[in-house]
Amino acid sequence: MAAAPKKTSKKVEDIRTMIVEKYQENLLLEGKNPASVFAFCKDLEITEADFYAHFNDFGQVAAAFWMELFHKNISALEGSAEWEDFRTREKLLSFYFSFFEQLKSNRSYVLLVLDQKMFNLKKGSSDLSELKAAFKKWLNQILIEGRSREEIAGRSKFNDIYDDLFWYQFLFLMDFWRKDKSQGFESTDEAIEKSVNFSFDLIEKNAIDSAFDFGKFIFQNR
Amino acid sequence: MKEQDKIYSSRSQRTGKFITTGAKIGRNYLKHYSKKLISGEDNQEELQEKNAEDVYDALSNLKGSALKVAQMLSMDQGLLPQAYTNKFAQAQYSAPPLSYPLVVKTFQQHFKKAPSEIFDEFSRNSVAAASIGQVHKAKLDGKNLAIKIQYPGVANSIQSDLKMVRPVVGAMFNISQTEISHYLSEVEERLLEETDYLLELKRSREITEACAHIEGLEFPKYYEDLSSAKVLTMDWLDGYHLDKFLALNPSQEIRNKIGQVIWDFYDFQIHRLQQVHADPHPGNFLFQEDGTVGVIDFGCIKELQEDFYRKYFQIMKPAISDDDEEFSDLLYQLQFLLKSDKTEEVSHFKEIYKDVLELLGRPFFSETFDFSDKSYFEKIYAMSDIFKNDKMVKNAKAGRGPKDAIYLNRTYFGLYSMLHSLGSKVITNSAVDALFTEKV
Repeated sequence: MAAAPKKTSKKVEDIRTMIVEKYQENLLLEGKNPASVFAFCKDLEITEADFYAHFNDFGQVAAAFWMELFHKNISALEGSAEWEDFRTREKLLSFYFSFFEQLKSNRSYVLLVLDQKMFNLKKGSSDLSELKAAFKKWLNQILIEGRSREEIAGRSKFNDIYDDLFWYQFLFLMDFWRKDKSQGFESTDEAIEKSVNFSFDLIEKNAIDSAFDFGKFIFQNR
Repeated sequence: MKEQDKIYSSRSQRTGKFITTGAKIGRNYLKHYSKKLISGEDNQEELQEKNAEDVYDALSNLKGSALKVAQMLSMDQGLLPQAYTNKFAQAQYSAPPLSYPLVVKTFQQHFKKAPSEIFDEFSRNSVAAASIGQVHKAKLDGKNLAIKIQYPGVANSIQSDLKMVRPVVGAMFNISQTEISHYLSEVEERLLEETDYLLELKRSREITEACAHIEGLEFPKYYEDLSSAKVLTMDWLDGYHLDKFLALNPSQEIRNKIGQVIWDFYDFQIHRLQQVHADPHPGNFLFQEDGTVGVIDFGCIKELQEDFYRKYFQIMKPAISDDDEEFSDLLYQLQFLLKSDKTEEVSHFKEIYKDVLELLGRPFFSETFDFSDKSYFEKIYAMSDIFKNDKMVKNAKAGRGPKDAIYLNRTYFGLYSMLHSLGSKVITNSAVDALFTEKV
């Protein structure tokens, strides 16, 4: 059925990358998903079995783009010499800066996806659902480290919603970047600086904690 | 209402008094005036300080370049009571710092490497704020370096900042909208130049080479391969900033020596090179105990056109107003007077300019000049009040004076103030003397 497959000569990872790249190209040229997995595979000269070995549907292919970006970014960051000395604030800043730097080389694709799906994005687009989970997991990890180093205030139940709040920050920044018309996306850099500084000024130990502590004291000693 | 009127009428004397205590702004100062308050004297100074604070707060909510414009206009107008000067000087040091990750990103963009990969040591936090960026200290091959990194988005924000600042400054300094436009084009041009660090590098090299012969000056070396449009790498200079240096109680001899070096440096730039480091802000100088002066930050350079230069200084020659024809002619050429002026305006403005020129030119008219002379600076401030409150000046519809003069005035204003703070007695030999003897 499909054209003579050359899969034997290809490594498994290559096929995965090929599928993701081809899917992007297709979306960029056609503006929509391929008609079917069948058509897609034929075009790529692989079998449907090859496709299903990696993905169940195009949604997962779309998600894979974001996941790859994410993992590449994290491993580059964690590999840098200074990473371990960074405060949590600096880790998140670095994450955003390099993430948006990478997005630049895929801007057309990302714009297309975000434009089409921005509405869903706020509710949670399927493209980004895996990224969301991975980002939140990673974020919780650095937040816990931050708490153990006493950079970040432990605020019992509130701790659990931080990851959601930062996810919205991430979405906000993506939306900002999408609309950014400044040279070299300098405004996005500014938006990252300012939003991260603002959020960390809130979650690091500050007046709220002493106010709460004081309030509790008064309440207990009345 | 009555209270207000009274305050305004005594403003010039008050400002004068204000200057004498200007250096000690702060708690002592407030204390001093709350006493006055109780004793029933009016408290204009406190009010002015409060004003300066309010204005400053309002402006600091604007971005860097807006603040610079206000700073500059206030200098140019000579309208700057000490309270404003101090507040504005602080502004240089209070911009929110760039995070280290953004510094890394900037380096990667321009050099494809992180600072830690380029330098042996690199300070993660900034060690000083420059006007549109911040300074990090680094070490490479045993040499200390200063690295200036520009804030992102500065160039883009200049135009919108200038728009924002327009009404604020207009209200603040009583300048009409037409007059502001007159200034803004010139200011915008300089500000945009300042955002190009490669241009700064080129000019720094030119000026430092040309001024290398002046003894007592020290300039950093600039490193082209470690510089880009947003990053400027130069030698780290040792020395104290002006306030710290003065706190060391340098001897009068050293003060004079330093004052002389600075005077000669500026005189050479203005009258020989005809391009000048137009930002004699104390933050751009580093003083050493032996009287050596380090000059940094050549972001703001004003090139003086020959024609403008000649007229500007010819009008400053002693007793120029005695020759009414020549004086009027120059005033018209420099657009201090306009063809559309009415007869009474002409004579009124002439009178004002005569006083201004005599006063500002005074250091040039004698062999030596003692810049520690408080009464001289009181007169300058008093004069600025005349300007501010003069009805005819206020009602003048068009902007006056050549726009090229903005930065030159600013330079002299900064130079005089700095020499005043140093309390230097200076031999005011000037290369301008040759011009004074020429006929127009």
